[in-house]
Amino acid sequence: MLLAGVVLLSSGCAVAGSAGGDTGRADGRTLRVVLTQEPPTLEPCEASLTGTGVVVRSNITEPLVERDPTSGELNPLLATGWKQTAPRTWTFDIRSGVTFQNGAPFTAEDAAFSIDRAVNSDLACNVEGYVFGDDDLEVDAVNDSRLTVTTEQPDPILPLRLSFVEVVPRTTDPKAKVRVPVGTGPYAVTSWKPGAAISLNRNDRYWGEAPAFARARYVWRSDASVRAAMIDKDEAEIAVALDPMEAEKDTTAAYPNNETTALRLDGREAPLDDIRVRRAIDLAVDREGIVDALLGGLAEPAGQLVPPGVVGHNDAIEPTRQNVTEARALVREAAADGVPTGRRITLVARNGMFSGVSETAEALQYQMQQIGLNVKVRMADTATHLQYQLRPLPEDVGPVALLIMHGNQAGDAGFTTSQYLLADGPQSTFGTEALDERVADAGALSGGARQKAFADLLAEQNESVVQYAHLAHMSGLLGLSRSIRYRPDSATGDELRLADVHPAEGAKH
Amino acid sequence: MIPFLRKRVLSSAVPLVCVVLGVFFLARMTGNPVDLYLPLSATPEQRAEFSAAQGFDLSIPTQLWNYLVDAAHFDFGTSLRTGQPAGSMVLDAFPVTLQLAGVTMLLALTGAVLVGSLAAYRPNSLIDRIASLLSMTAASIPDFWFAIMGVLVFGVSLGLLPTSGTLGGPEIWVLPIATLLIRPFGVLVQVVRGSMVTALSAPYVKIARGKGATPRRVVFGHALRNAVTPVLTVAGDLAVGLVNGAVVVETIFGWPGIGKLMIDSILQRDFAVLQAAVLMTAVTIFALNILVDVCHALTDPRVRQAVPA
Repeated sequence: MLLAGVVLLSSGCAVAGSAGGDTGRADGRTLRVVLTQEPPTLEPCEASLTGTGVVVRSNITEPLVERDPTSGELNPLLATGWKQTAPRTWTFDIRSGVTFQNGAPFTAEDAAFSIDRAVNSDLACNVEGYVFGDDDLEVDAVNDSRLTVTTEQPDPILPLRLSFVEVVPRTTDPKAKVRVPVGTGPYAVTSWKPGAAISLNRNDRYWGEAPAFARARYVWRSDASVRAAMIDKDEAEIAVALDPMEAEKDTTAAYPNNETTALRLDGREAPLDDIRVRRAIDLAVDREGIVDALLGGLAEPAGQLVPPGVVGHNDAIEPTRQNVTEARALVREAAADGVPTGRRITLVARNGMFSGVSETAEALQYQMQQIGLNVKVRMADTATHLQYQLRPLPEDVGPVALLIMHGNQAGDAGFTTSQYLLADGPQSTFGTEALDERVADAGALSGGARQKAFADLLAEQNESVVQYAHLAHMSGLLGLSRSIRYRPDSATGDELRLADVHPAEGAKH
Repeated sequence: MIPFLRKRVLSSAVPLVCVVLGVFFLARMTGNPVDLYLPLSATPEQRAEFSAAQGFDLSIPTQLWNYLVDAAHFDFGTSLRTGQPAGSMVLDAFPVTLQLAGVTMLLALTGAVLVGSLAAYRPNSLIDRIASLLSMTAASIPDFWFAIMGVLVFGVSLGLLPTSGTLGGPEIWVLPIATLLIRPFGVLVQVVRGSMVTALSAPYVKIARGKGATPRRVVFGHALRNAVTPVLTVAGDLAVGLVNGAVVVETIFGWPGIGKLMIDSILQRDFAVLQAAVLMTAVTIFALNILVDVCHALTDPRVRQAVPA
């Protein structure tokens, strides 16, 4: 009776924003994607933010070059070729016959404008911080089809860095971030109903192969079980970030997402300023147990901050095996030398960082207490966690073991080490001068020498600094309707290419 | 009635002001949102510029004064997260929550009066026992669990209802409202039953029965009028809770209402939107409280007589 009453009473009501909301029915022409949350912005220079990039990158806008997430090779996109023409200068050949979604032709001047806007401006774009650091670039459109980019120091991986700069037309506001972007990608934004949905239409001017689906619609549901249910109920074709409990379904696909979890140990505060205590914590962690019991067996125990496939990953590093006896002995030894091992350590973790994060934090707390340390867990929201994560680090909060999850989507350990290993790195609490020098030296190398240098310094971190007790290389879980074909890769979490999705053969709609 | 109203408005305004000021100060105690909105490499100049543009570089009392002056002109600032006016974001979200809460309360009251009266008419009968058991269960079920179970059972297993969303026919309302409804319905059934049992045993009801009034006339014509006062009081509190507590429903079912907006604003340190949302919610709760008091006074003259002029 009540349900009938609801139906009767509500039939005359309309929900604000419902006109363009939700996923709609399966029609075989619309690709329906359910995300975890609404993107805060679609501004292309913020595409290194996961929530923005997953919609924008390579769907609405495109970069000059793109990195193959499997091989690590750079492929041409809006640039057809590139080469280092001087120690500090790279020259790019610009693709002809490309138009923006607003009908304007794409030229080298647009590429130069886009780089200037994202890297050299006062917009404070996220891509600037993570990818380019503090250095500005000198950008010159030689003619419509040629672009030169000059760096302050020789940069062997400049094309890789530029794969993070999404190209926008020169008519884009250079002084303010835009809410809805224009690009050269296979889809264009048709509507954004705040709180409800973002709709895209196929870009008929697209220079490349036309994508299979004429339309795409993004909605967001914060609960993972609802996202999974939407796949089961045929309300969406793709659902991101499912829980491990969905792993056994044939509509779920696991993929390595380049994220690595670790405990960052604060080397400024006792007892964590003693390497024996840090090494003891590393020995105390039961990686296999946490992976099997709490992460659904979907992760791999880790011994370094970058997973396989990233330049600099060290194949020789084995994840530390749990050894409680040895860990206890190290703590006792430190205590005997006057290290205050009984001082309370705060283990800070972020809500929603990954499925099972609070249970993982509690397991780590237990394992650290098992070796004689005093640990308290604090679960924090993103903003609070950021205060612990980034410099300037909070003062007078005692020793902190911060549970971090680091994603290296760029595919090069240089991005990791400059943030996490430098003594004064934005996300590092301490280090050594020797390691800093090795980071700088490795960053100037290319090819095999670069790979070896970064691999060696990651091993060195584990020997001489032990700032991190590495936990696991993580995986993502994607819900995929039986009506589509899509193979996720390590970039999927940050760059879900709609053009790579095809209707399954024989699928009915 | 006027003195009564004046006193009620003044006493209800105090918590309203406290909530608005409390949220303003508490939000700022969580720190500067600059880390969330600027990249790692933002220069000190960029950080200073950001803070100045948002007014975060001013002293807290100055920020409060500016906020109050702007709010008096219906300018609630700009969302850090979306760049949209905070006031319009709140105005877009609020009707969604009000619709949910309004329909839910109407159904809860109607259902509770019917079921509670039926149970009270024959105390300790089978109907009474079933109604009591179900209402206590309903009042105890966590809404989050109920919502997810509803999605899995009625959405996925039976395929009768959509899992979530705001687009579609009346069926989209069923799970969100059922989730919101269950607790107030359970509580109200118990309150109605209790009040009605007392009212039905009153002498005037016995006289009405003796004069041959039908059971319907006895319950709804005589007893209910005297039993309604405590029901309205509890319903008022529950309605306030509904406006505040739509967070779970809006989050799970993807309804862009004020609860979800508030949670997102807290997590994103979007102060302008948070303040605007809290202000509007507080004013609504303030109005609801006054409305409940007025209803209370209208149905029970002793209430307004108790207030000195």
